[in-house]
This record gives sequence, structure tokens and C-alpha cells, in this order.
Amino acid sequence: MTELKAARAQLAAASAENNEPQGLLDRRLSARDLMEKLQLPRMQRFKFHDWPLIADQPLNWVQSDPALIPATSKDDEVIKVTQFGQTTVHVNLPQKLQDQGVILTDIFTAAREHQELFEKFFMTAIKPDENLLTAYHLAYLNAGLFLYIPKNVEIEKPIEAEIIQDSTQDEPLVSHILVIADRGSKVKFIQHLATVGEKANPANMMIELMAQENSEIDFSSLDEFGPHTHTYFKRRADIGRDAHVEWAVGLMNDGNTVGDMDSELLGEGGYANSKMIATTTHDQEVGVNNRVTNRGKHTTGLINQRGVILEDSELIFNGIGQIIHGAHGAKADQQNRVLIMSDKARGDANPILLIDENDVEAGHAASVGPVDPHQMYYLMSRGIPRKQAERMVIRGFLGAVLSAIPSKDVRNKLIAILERKLTDGQQD
Amino acid sequence: MATLEVKDLHVAVKDEESKKEKEILKGVNLSMKTGEIHAIMGPNGTGKSTLSQTIMGQPGYRVTQGDILLNGESIVDMPVDERARKGLFLAMQYPAEIQGVTNAEFLRAAINARRADDDQISVMDFIKKLDKNLKLLDMSQSMTERYLNEGFSGGEKKRNEILQLLMIEPSFAILDEIDSGLDIDALKVVSKGVNSMRGDNFGSLIITHYQRLLNYIIPDTVHVMMDGRIVKTGGPDLAKKLEDEGYAGLRDELGLDIKLVDDED
Repeated sequence: MTELKAARAQLAAASAENNEPQGLLDRRLSARDLMEKLQLPRMQRFKFHDWPLIADQPLNWVQSDPALIPATSKDDEVIKVTQFGQTTVHVNLPQKLQDQGVILTDIFTAAREHQELFEKFFMTAIKPDENLLTAYHLAYLNAGLFLYIPKNVEIEKPIEAEIIQDSTQDEPLVSHILVIADRGSKVKFIQHLATVGEKANPANMMIELMAQENSEIDFSSLDEFGPHTHTYFKRRADIGRDAHVEWAVGLMNDGNTVGDMDSELLGEGGYANSKMIATTTHDQEVGVNNRVTNRGKHTTGLINQRGVILEDSELIFNGIGQIIHGAHGAKADQQNRVLIMSDKARGDANPILLIDENDVEAGHAASVGPVDPHQMYYLMSRGIPRKQAERMVIRGFLGAVLSAIPSKDVRNKLIAILERKLTDGQQD
Repeated sequence: MATLEVKDLHVAVKDEESKKEKEILKGVNLSMKTGEIHAIMGPNGTGKSTLSQTIMGQPGYRVTQGDILLNGESIVDMPVDERARKGLFLAMQYPAEIQGVTNAEFLRAAINARRADDDQISVMDFIKKLDKNLKLLDMSQSMTERYLNEGFSGGEKKRNEILQLLMIEPSFAILDEIDSGLDIDALKVVSKGVNSMRGDNFGSLIITHYQRLLNYIIPDTVHVMMDGRIVKTGGPDLAKKLEDEGYAGLRDELGLDIKLVDDED
């Protein structure tokens, strides 16, 4: 038996063990076939092809012990769902929302019990044949969440997903979050990624936001994977007519990370604002493509990325603004800025504009450099010590994204992580 | 009593365009104590701002000769923040704008930087002090919750410099062209703030181009600076005399061979 045949047989057995519908198994198998011919994705000015992003092991179903994760404080301000490794620890969707038809469940329950929705949307924004890692994602998917908000339903409290990688075991985390906001619905979704355990594992994390006509999705993310995790992430929103998507990402992983943010403005009048802040420390390497594509007429696409590079680390921000021919009246604006905090830190902020339409407004700004010396001088002239002054300037520099996160709790967590990273990584 | 002495100070600045160093201060001598207000007047381009930035410790200014002593201790090799904590303050001509940091937070950090970790100012004491000083400067409460100088008008920035002065209470405050761009009402408010600090524990060095400010803050001593040196020192009358006769008149009277420029320094 060839290697591929053995892999297919293993997937079929694992899929059956997980009670998956035939449709999902078929898609896993064809994705496994695709892996034979697809390449790793490429990123401008960033090399990661020798990273262990694919685990050399079959699709396993393993339990994780919820007693190992830190007790989360009770927070009535959010609707909480927690996954530890492949284990869904709890889902706490209020009865009232269930009655309105809101669905919040793990991704495999959705594949079984909400087949029609699942089939219609799952991996239609991100396609398995894009590259080796998207194919790997589908073939070896082992965790994830599914959220559906019916027409005109507004969920007031943010939904907060705690996604905790179980690195007490040798097991990759291949996780997919699918959010479908039906016409006229509104939702705020917060994800918090963390790692428990010291084993070296890859994480392959994908998110699809399906923002249907007139819907609004606020998606914020606090990424805090551990130092031994190699992360590939892909987050994409398909944005329909007059729909509105806000991304606010705090990329605070301690390990090497490469990822894509993608906002596809498909329908007329759609709006996307993609905000990200990142801090890199030690000898960490992080590369991000943040792309907004204006396809529909009168669409607006904004990118704002801010990074702080400490010690020997590297951070690349590519901002990609693409306006497709026919997208009359489209607006695209991007800012990519990084602060370089040490002599050994490396980084770049590259605006890439691909404009194929005349009747548009497009702008960009980029900067790479140290903390503004004029600001430092001013703060220090009032007696504030250099390191504290630096942290104040940096916090201001990152302020636009910090203030966009809807949960005060998550915002405070992010500020605390930042403060810790900055204090650890500051030069004497 | 604190003292500030400038001895035979020579300072060079690198020109942004030519990349060549140019000597701006050519041997400045100045000595002051707390309880005194000194004014430095002089034509544009004569080194007044260079003197104030060098005393504070702006990294772009290089001391090539001479010394600056604060309470008898040389500060020329001291970083800016340390000089500030030892009692120096510079009200700047062009204050920086800092997003994301509120005025109130900044003021507390500045006050606490001077105090021991176990003796930080209490919230109540801070608010009381802030309210009192806001009132004195005719500033609204909302100014303290805005980001530091961000979007402030020219006049608001100047008032905010004086607010910091009142909150921090340094031994010596250098006011660098605090009057530029202020209308008469704002000038009165700013002067009222500075005058409220007058006393045995406070000294100030006021740098100005015009005599007008000195009608509101009466100095004990007036120095005239030309071409990188102090060329004449006198009482408040000297400022009035300059107003009447101009800098050229004084230059000719002293028999100096100096070209006066009108460029901003």
C-alpha cells in the first residue's frame, strides 16, 4: 500500500470514529490528495519554509483534561465557550438566543446536526486548494467552533471563545471557526488563544466570517500561544452587500507565527476595517499579510497595523490593498507601522497597492523606526524614566487597536501582556 | 536654597542639511538661586533656545567646553530624566503630542517619578492639587482626560506646560518663549501661574524675544544675549530700554561686531 493510500485509509477510519457525515469525509480525502501536489504558501520578504507547520502524525481523537486549564473568572459580560485541545469544556449559550435560532456548537456537531448550513459555507471563503496548509487543515481538522446568527438577530453580549491548545500532549491543533451572520444580524465575537503545556506542536488556525447582506461582525482576537508552538493562521471574511466587518487582533504569541488576514468586499457598500497589533520578543519571527480586496462598488477597506519589535526578533507586516476592475467608488486606505526597539531587531512594513480601477480613493502610510525621539525627550524632561517613557509612547502607538476591543476584560488582559512583554524585552 | 550655574558654556549643534557642527554658544556664564527670576532676552538666532535645551539635556546639543552645575553638581553627563528629577523643568516651545496617554495619567507619572515607590501620591491628593491648578489657569476638567497635547491649540499647549510646572513644582523652571503665539488674556493666565510659584523654593529662567511678558512676570535680573554670549546684565529697566532702543542700539552702544539675523532660532 502506498503512503497516500495508507493515509486515506487512516482518515476514513478516524472520520468514522468521529461519526462524521460522508460529505465531510469526502472533502477530507480530496484535501489529502491535494496535499500531494500543493506547495507551502509564500510571503513577501518572509521565510518560514523550514518551520514544522505540519505534524507528522495521523488524525487522532484525544481527550484533554479540563482540570489542567486555569479556572476562568465568571464574567457575566460575555457569552463564553471554552475548548481545550479537541475537548469542548463548556458552551454557555443563553436559552433566549437558542430559541431565536442562534447556533453555537463545536464544529463536528455542526457537521452532523446542521449539515445544510455547514455544507453551504464551510471552507468556501478559504478554499482547501489554496496551498499545502489549507489542504492540510481540511484533511486533518481536529477542533473548532460553529456559530450561526439567524436573520435580523442581534446578539448584544460579546461571545468569547477560549481556545486553549493542549501541549501537555504531542498533538497538533487544527482548528476552524466558522461564523455565519445571516442578513441583518449583528454579533461581537472575541477569541482568546492560549497554550497549556510545554510540548512543541504546530497550530493551524482558520477562521471564516460569512457576513451576509447588512450584517455586522466585530471580531477581536487575543493570540497568546506559547513559545513552543509554530502557528499558521488564516482569517477571512466574505463581506456581502452593505455588511460591516471589524477585525481587531492582538498578536501576542510567544512562538513563531505566520498568517493571513483577508477581507473580501464582495457586495456593494460593504465595509471592512482590519486592525492588528503585534509584539515580538526574544528570537521570535512573525510575518503577517493583511489583505483587503474591494470587489463591490462603493466598498470601503481599511487596514491599520502596528508592531513593536524587541530584542532579536523579526516582524514583517505586509498590507495588501487590492481594488478590482469595476469596483467604482471604492475606498482603500492602509497604515503599516513598526517600532524597532533594539539594534538586533528586524522588521518591515510594506504597503502593497494593486489598483485596477480609476474611480477610487486609495491611500497608504508606512513607517519603520525607533520610538519618536521628540516624544521620548518630552516625557523624560518631566522626570519619567526612559523605560517607562518608552512604554507610554508604545501604548499610545498601539492605542487605536486596543480601544477597539469590546470586552474590557480582554482589553485589560492584552494591556497586561503588552506591559509584561515590553518590560521583559526592553534594552538597558 | 538651590543653585544653578552655567560656566563658560560652549555648545555645538549639527546642522541637519550640511551635517557640519556649528558652535552656537560661545562661552555663556550665568548664576542663579531659587527665589530669583532671571530673564534672557536677545535677537533671533542668538542661542537662547540652545541654552535652555542644553541645560535640560536635549541629546542634539553637544557641550564642547564649560560646565553646568545644579547645586554644585555637574549635570552635563546626566540623562534628561535624572536632571528633571533633580529639580529642572523646561516649558517647551513645541511640546510633543502623545496619543493614548491621558494628561492626568502623564501628570501622575511625572509626580510619582520624583517620589519613592512607597510614597506615591494618593488619588485624592492628586485630584485636589489638579483641581486647584486647573482653576488657577482657567482650564477645564476635560483637558486632563484628553491625550497629552493631542489636538491642543497653541494656547492650550502653553497652558498645559504651565499646568505641568504647577503640578511638578521643580526648583528651577526654564520657560522657553512661553509667550509666543499667546493673546493678551492667555498671557495673563500663564503669568498668573508662574507668579503663583514665586517663593524661596522656586527660581525661573525666562527666555523671551519681547519685553511684553516681563510686564506680567517682573524679573529680578535681565540678561541680554547676542551671538552665543551674554553681553549685558541688569535689572528690569534693561528690558524696557531694549524695547525702546532695540537690540541694534545696544549692540552699537557696546561696540560689538555682530550681525543680527531675523531667522527663528
